[in-house]
Amino acid sequence: MKASEAWSPDELLTRASAGEPAAFASLVRRYQRTVFSIALRMLGDRHRAEDLAQEVFLQLYRSLEGIGSDAHLAFWLRKVAVNRAIDRIRQETRYENEPLTEAASVVEETGDADPLLQRRMAELVSQLPPAARAVVVLRYQEDLDPVDIASTLDMPINTVKSHLKRSLTSLRARVLGTAIVDDIQPSMSEPSR
Amino acid sequence: MNKDFEQQLRDALRPVDPEEGFEQRVMARVASEPMRSRAKLTRWAAGLALAASMAGVAILGAHQWQERREQEGLEARRQLLEALRVTGEKLDVAYQAVNRPSPPPDDESGA
Repeated sequence: MKASEAWSPDELLTRASAGEPAAFASLVRRYQRTVFSIALRMLGDRHRAEDLAQEVFLQLYRSLEGIGSDAHLAFWLRKVAVNRAIDRIRQETRYENEPLTEAASVVEETGDADPLLQRRMAELVSQLPPAARAVVVLRYQEDLDPVDIASTLDMPINTVKSHLKRSLTSLRARVLGTAIVDDIQPSMSEPSR
Repeated sequence: MNKDFEQQLRDALRPVDPEEGFEQRVMARVASEPMRSRAKLTRWAAGLALAASMAGVAILGAHQWQERREQEGLEARRQLLEALRVTGEKLDVAYQAVNRPSPPPDDESGA
C-alpha cells in the first residue's frame, strides 16, 4: 500500500498543494474516473475525452492553491470538466452535424440490465444539445441534485429542471420509438405465407 | 415506469475508467510544467522587487526633499549674513559720522 493512500482526502489536497508529486498523483487516481466519464459523455470520443481530462488535471495542478477542501475539489473538477467540454463542442460545432456515437458503445456492464438498451440510451444522451447533455450527465452519472447542478453550471435552478424534464421526455420517446421499431421490424421481415 | 427509466439512464451512464496509464500520462504532462516552487519563488521575487523599487522611490524622494530643505537653509543663512554685513557697514558709517571731530568754530571775535 502506498503511503499516499493512507492520507485523508483533505491531507492529500494539502500535500499536493505543497508540491508533493505523490499526493497529486493520488488525487488524479481518485478523480480520474469522474473527470474522464464527464468528458467522454460530453464529447463522445475516448481520445478527445482523455485529452480533455488531462487538461483538466493540468489546470487543477496550476490552481491547487485556490482549492480549500476535498468537497470543493470535487465541485471544481466537475465544473471545469463540463465547461471545457462545452467550450470544445462549441469551438468544433460538430454536434449539430455529426452524431456522437462512440460514447454509446462505452457502457459499464451492470449484469442484470439490457446492454443494448444501455447503449441506445447512452447514444441518445450524446445527441442532446450540450447544455442539456451536461445537466443529464451530472444528474444521472454524477448523481447530483438539481441545486448542485445549477451551482456547477452557473445556471438557474428552473433552467436545470426544465432541461431535465424535456430531456427525459425526449429520451423516453426516442427509446420507446426504437423499441417499437425493433418490435415491428422482425415481423415485417418474416416471409409471408 | 418513470423510476425504471431513470434507473436505466443511470445504468447507461455509469462512470467508466480511462485507458490504463492515465495517471502516468497526466504526471508526465505535469512534470513538463514549470516547477510550482519556482512559480511561487518568481511571484515572491516579483513582489519583493516591487516593494524594493517602491522603497527606493520613497527614499530618493525623501533624500531630495531633505537636500532641498538644506539648500533653502543655506540660502537663508547666506541672506542673513549678507544683511548683517550690510547693517554692520551702515553702523560703521554712522559711528564714524558721530565720532568725527567737529571742526573748530570760526573765531568771530577775530581780532
